[in-house]
Amino acid sequence: MTPHRMTMIRRGAGVPPAIFPTPQTAKTPAGRRRHENLAFRVAAPNHREKCRLRSLLPCIFALLVLLVTSGCGKRGGERIIVGSKNFTEQIVLAELFAQQIEAHSALRVERRLNLGGTIICHDALVSGKIDLYPEYTGTALTAILNDPPQKDPSEVLRRVQEEYRARFNVEVMPPLGFNNTFAMVVRGDDAEKLHLRTISDVAPYAAKWRAGFGYEFMERPDGYRGWMAAYGLHFSGAPRILDLGLLYRALADNQVDLVAGNSTDGVIASLHMVALEDDRHYFPPYEAVPLVRRATLEKHPEVREAIGALAKKVSEDEMRLMNYAVDGEHRDPAEVVRAFRGAKGL
Amino acid sequence: MNWYEFLLRNRGEVFERTLEHIGLVGASMAISLLIGLPLGVALVSRARLQRWVIGAANVVQTIPSLALFGFLIPVPWIGGVGASTAIVALSLYSLLPILRNTCTGIAEVDPAVIESARGMGMTPWQVLWQVQLPLAAPVVLAGIRVATAICIGITTIAAAIGAGGLGVFIFRGLAMVNNQVILAGAIPAAFLAIAADSGLGYFQRSSARR
Repeated sequence: MTPHRMTMIRRGAGVPPAIFPTPQTAKTPAGRRRHENLAFRVAAPNHREKCRLRSLLPCIFALLVLLVTSGCGKRGGERIIVGSKNFTEQIVLAELFAQQIEAHSALRVERRLNLGGTIICHDALVSGKIDLYPEYTGTALTAILNDPPQKDPSEVLRRVQEEYRARFNVEVMPPLGFNNTFAMVVRGDDAEKLHLRTISDVAPYAAKWRAGFGYEFMERPDGYRGWMAAYGLHFSGAPRILDLGLLYRALADNQVDLVAGNSTDGVIASLHMVALEDDRHYFPPYEAVPLVRRATLEKHPEVREAIGALAKKVSEDEMRLMNYAVDGEHRDPAEVVRAFRGAKGL
Repeated sequence: MNWYEFLLRNRGEVFERTLEHIGLVGASMAISLLIGLPLGVALVSRARLQRWVIGAANVVQTIPSLALFGFLIPVPWIGGVGASTAIVALSLYSLLPILRNTCTGIAEVDPAVIESARGMGMTPWQVLWQVQLPLAAPVVLAGIRVATAICIGITTIAAAIGAGGLGVFIFRGLAMVNNQVILAGAIPAAFLAIAADSGLGYFQRSSARR
């Protein structure tokens, strides 16, 4: 057991101290792109120090046993370890990778999901604790390579591919086909009635519309201010600033007419909303890509084939529906992915 | 940058948000006092109804605040987004301690005292105003104190529904992954709660002394 693995798992399992019961929005290391689904974080009970230590001991022991046994298991057979960050979409994608490898090779797949963030996944990948995980090009560019955000999707992909190959010996596989970035969302019936397809289509109606934005969108450098300037839109009154989860409710209930959400949020599909196309390419690309260790690909070429077959196979709509199936309908990610693979003939 | 440096640099906005916060708390406390005190007095002698009403207030208390804000968005008249929805939700949350302590406080006044007041020829109205309420005041004030503390805390979540207040910093900080910004909202809110609590505590003690 290396000290590195210890820290990796500890960090992954740690619960950040809560200041208030709050919706769990983007409690992430810098640059991590996504928000998590709405969940209440409850402040840890204030036990006495001694008490806490004693109650922690069994947990620490269990953790040690787990570490030792998992370490032994890995050396045993030919295994591919799939990792993921700790939110629904990542778990679904990792499950997709896992099932794909299981179906197209004789390899055994171990799932190490819910790792606590971009940096932890990256460290695990580079050090060989995991063999592959899903990432977003924009996140890789800004959070890992520390580059400024860029607008051109192919340019971002090219840069990330080159740098990952040279610096980390990691292969950035072809994009899965969807982009998880900010999205301007309107009600489906508005979109139909007014023939709205792109953000620019909104311009004639903006003066009469109320906009609702989340706190993250208001603060991010690639958020509100630049967006207003890029499209030259003027809404009626100042934007309403709401919690992201409540934004969709407010939109559905006609309290606002346009909100900034995330392009793969499941509720967009379930509440019959429409995400408008970013026709001026304001939002930086966050295309989902599989990141795979090159050593793994050389040793097991069938992994390249299995994962490569996923290129351009997952559209934004499909990702939304899968996210919704897991978050909204509480279905098992493995079952959701099986259904998807069946439908796509993968 | 420390949280107090952030606080100093943004003192204009912090001040504005604090005022918003106090406004939200004040408005919702006023509404729940206007409803809770008379309702509590009216329920004292109606044990059955009292169980139902306090039970309902109890249920409201268990709804997570963010969920309650969500429920209120589609409600006509009182719902929507903004301060009014927040005030409705906050009043509902403050209601239980006020209601319960008003009932308990009045119910626990020594029956012998009430009997002698009646014997002196006081009307029921006079008994209420001159005997029961003054004697119940410390307990009622304790309820108001708890309600205020709860209200100040939950008002931070009202920022989720666009009502402003110190919660704006907390949500913004969470979105930016910046603890300084979170603390710039959380610490003034904590101070507000402490100040309100000790102020009301002073009242409570002086009412108990009489």
